[in-house]
Amino acid sequence: MRIALSGVTVRFGPVTAVNQVSLGIEPGEIHALVGENGAGKSTLMNMLFGLVTPAEGTIAIDGVERRWASPQDAIRAGLGMVHQHFMLQDSMSVLENIVLCAEPVGRFGFVDFAGARARLDAIAESHGVSIDLDRQLGRLSVGERQAVEILKVLYREADLLILDEPTAVLTPQEKDRLFDTLRSFRAAGKAIVLITHKLDEVVEIADRVSVMRAGRLVASSPLAETSKEEIARGIVGGALPAPRIRKAQEPGDVVLAVDALTVPRRGQDVGPISFDLRAGEIVGIAGVSGNGQAELVRALTGLERLRSGAISLCGQRIEKRDVGARRRLGLSYIPEDRQRMGLALGASVTENANAGRDDRKSFTIGPFLRHSAMARFARALIDNYRIRVAGPRAAAATMSGGNKQKLVVGRELGRSTPLVIAENPTWGVDIGAIDFIHGELMRMRDAGHAILLISTELDEVIALSDRILVMYDGRVSGEVAGGEASRERVGALMTSRAADALGKVA
Amino acid sequence: MKFANGTMRAVLPWAFTVLWIAAIIFALLLFVGAPFGEAISGFLQGAFGGRRHAYLMATLSRTALITGMAISVMLSFRAGLFNIGGEGQLVAGGLVAALVATLLPGPPLVVLVVAILAAMLAGALWALIAGVLQLYMGVPLLVGSLLLNYPIRYIASYAVAHPFRDVPSGMVQSHLVPQETWLAYFPGTRLDIGILFTLAATAFALVYSYWTVHGYHTRLNGLSADFARTVGLPVRKLTLQTLAISGAIAGLVGAIAVFGIHHRYIDGMLVQPLYAWTGIIAVLLVGMVPWAVPLSGFFFAAVQTGAAGMERAAGVPKEIALVIQAVIILFVASRVSGALSSKERGGGNA
Repeated sequence: MRIALSGVTVRFGPVTAVNQVSLGIEPGEIHALVGENGAGKSTLMNMLFGLVTPAEGTIAIDGVERRWASPQDAIRAGLGMVHQHFMLQDSMSVLENIVLCAEPVGRFGFVDFAGARARLDAIAESHGVSIDLDRQLGRLSVGERQAVEILKVLYREADLLILDEPTAVLTPQEKDRLFDTLRSFRAAGKAIVLITHKLDEVVEIADRVSVMRAGRLVASSPLAETSKEEIARGIVGGALPAPRIRKAQEPGDVVLAVDALTVPRRGQDVGPISFDLRAGEIVGIAGVSGNGQAELVRALTGLERLRSGAISLCGQRIEKRDVGARRRLGLSYIPEDRQRMGLALGASVTENANAGRDDRKSFTIGPFLRHSAMARFARALIDNYRIRVAGPRAAAATMSGGNKQKLVVGRELGRSTPLVIAENPTWGVDIGAIDFIHGELMRMRDAGHAILLISTELDEVIALSDRILVMYDGRVSGEVAGGEASRERVGALMTSRAADALGKVA
Repeated sequence: MKFANGTMRAVLPWAFTVLWIAAIIFALLLFVGAPFGEAISGFLQGAFGGRRHAYLMATLSRTALITGMAISVMLSFRAGLFNIGGEGQLVAGGLVAALVATLLPGPPLVVLVVAILAAMLAGALWALIAGVLQLYMGVPLLVGSLLLNYPIRYIASYAVAHPFRDVPSGMVQSHLVPQETWLAYFPGTRLDIGILFTLAATAFALVYSYWTVHGYHTRLNGLSADFARTVGLPVRKLTLQTLAISGAIAGLVGAIAVFGIHHRYIDGMLVQPLYAWTGIIAVLLVGMVPWAVPLSGFFFAAVQTGAAGMERAAGVPKEIALVIQAVIILFVASRVSGALSSKERGGGNA
């Protein structure tokens, strides 16, 4: 399938999100689309997929001009898209999600689930993407949800595959497997568009790379004719951020003490897990998603009850306290799912910014709100964290992913609590925002806060952490000091129990 | 030119809606052989006219109850709580108001105040049962609140059929509440001051929704319960408190119906006119926007009294009048929610 976009412009009210972009996508080619958040990459692809209507310009597929009334048209034409924010039904099973809107009809008009199951098993076999088809989607981790999205597109036999930030939640091994799948797609003559922030991946797999900035296409060329540095300069439109320097400091008192913690989980409990976290250090928790990190975080924040064990925050036992009490005692939490847990998307930026604030007196009078004080607080967050948004009154849903994340990070770090739990804090966020968020976490560490960084992004864990705990199968499979960490060493611990892994590494 | 275009685009769909309604009503009237002009004027008379605007007063009196129920429902719905047990809470309030007022001795004003407060408490408690069932037994609120409508309805029927029945009246109803506790009429009208309570409840709901910490927190909980939990809001407490407020307002509406309109509890008086369900539709029609709820309540009341007027004036059979009522509601409702949702889509894109 050969696709030609010419002169495409997309406007949202007064904002021009995509400005006069002309782009060709060739069959048998992996086309990387890079750029900062809000540069218009996702909007451009959403347009191609029929989710937004262009104000100007045309889409031609194999030389024929096409118009979509809805994504269903685009899907029928052979396009498939894996969105950054998944479009799945939490209450349905994996299998039901995959066949939704493309149900195989068996005899008597019933859905032929057995047939779908057989086809999916074959797909899983050949592409190395596998998942238990009977689990309820709501119980899956973010990484597992993505596998479902990819299976969904594979199941529909799309000729053009658009992947929006697909590797953000994968481990190196999972990423390699995904890339093998993409290569086999390429070999089969399909066209692939890969939206990404990671230049290493572009260099590794892409045939052609297009760079967008502020709604315009600033460069598009075969990979061989450009370099990583040139692409990066194109993305930020100037000089690159300087590499981070870590200030050497001795960790202080124990802020968070976890002792033999176990958390209930379907199948097998998570834990027992024990560790200490001290003031002025970042402890990274690495691991393939779905190995108990989510349960650990939910137990620490109070969102889930523990089975047994003890948690102390600043010397006080907190395992029986609720979320609000723990936060007041000195805990902030940046959740991995900013869409659902980090923000209330239907509420305004102001309402989101003031949620969970401790200093209630400064924005209330008795039972009443002081809207001006709330707006002032939101305005300060917008300025301090350089959040790009129309204003405090805008709905949170109108912000781009990176700006949403900055709002969550700003709200939580602004509380300046002794303990910060950051769960995949830079998921799906552009280079500029990643650098900013990493900088803020380091600044908090240097200022003597204790930071627990849970991330499936190995580079992020290695770059920021003073110590790294690796989780595998619900337990801590090993600990590596920040200075000695290497991708290989941590990667080995991510896939096996401590004893085996240590044997291999040592 | 552009402006004119915009106005046209806003007005045209409404014009079409009105035309459709008129066409269907015309066809229906033709079918039953009723005169069109008389039927329409009967409708308008029935809703807004009458001698000294007597029918308008009837419409307003109904507005008071529908809007009150709508406000009760809105507070729950905005908090993400699908409390559809307004009817049960309304009945609990009405029954308790009538019983307290007939049984409690004392100065009339004290009796009135105590009875109203007791009615609100009864409504709140009935709503809380549904909340407790959800939080501690895992019964979904939608199911629990709905099912709780039935026991209270029949408890009330039993109470006024047996122990507290006004036997000499020959009807299934309680004794009259003391005449001194009846709500006064506005001077020169037959409209009781119950609507002032509804206005107060509306004002409370507006202030609560827009300007209070509690309203802000429940709204966040309604928009995303996961978010509310994550930022440490006391979700359970908010749920129970919101249900209590919602139920208390429903109970208040029950008390208004007793002291303002019927002056006793008559079996079925709060259930048959479908106040609670009309209130739910009235709220859904305007997408839970607080300030628009009273207007919506007035619209529904007017359509109901108007249809009754049409029946009287033009001899339109009652059933056809009800069909016409349903047609009007259906078309206006789809038009309003269409306009609201397209606005929302536009806002979401911007």
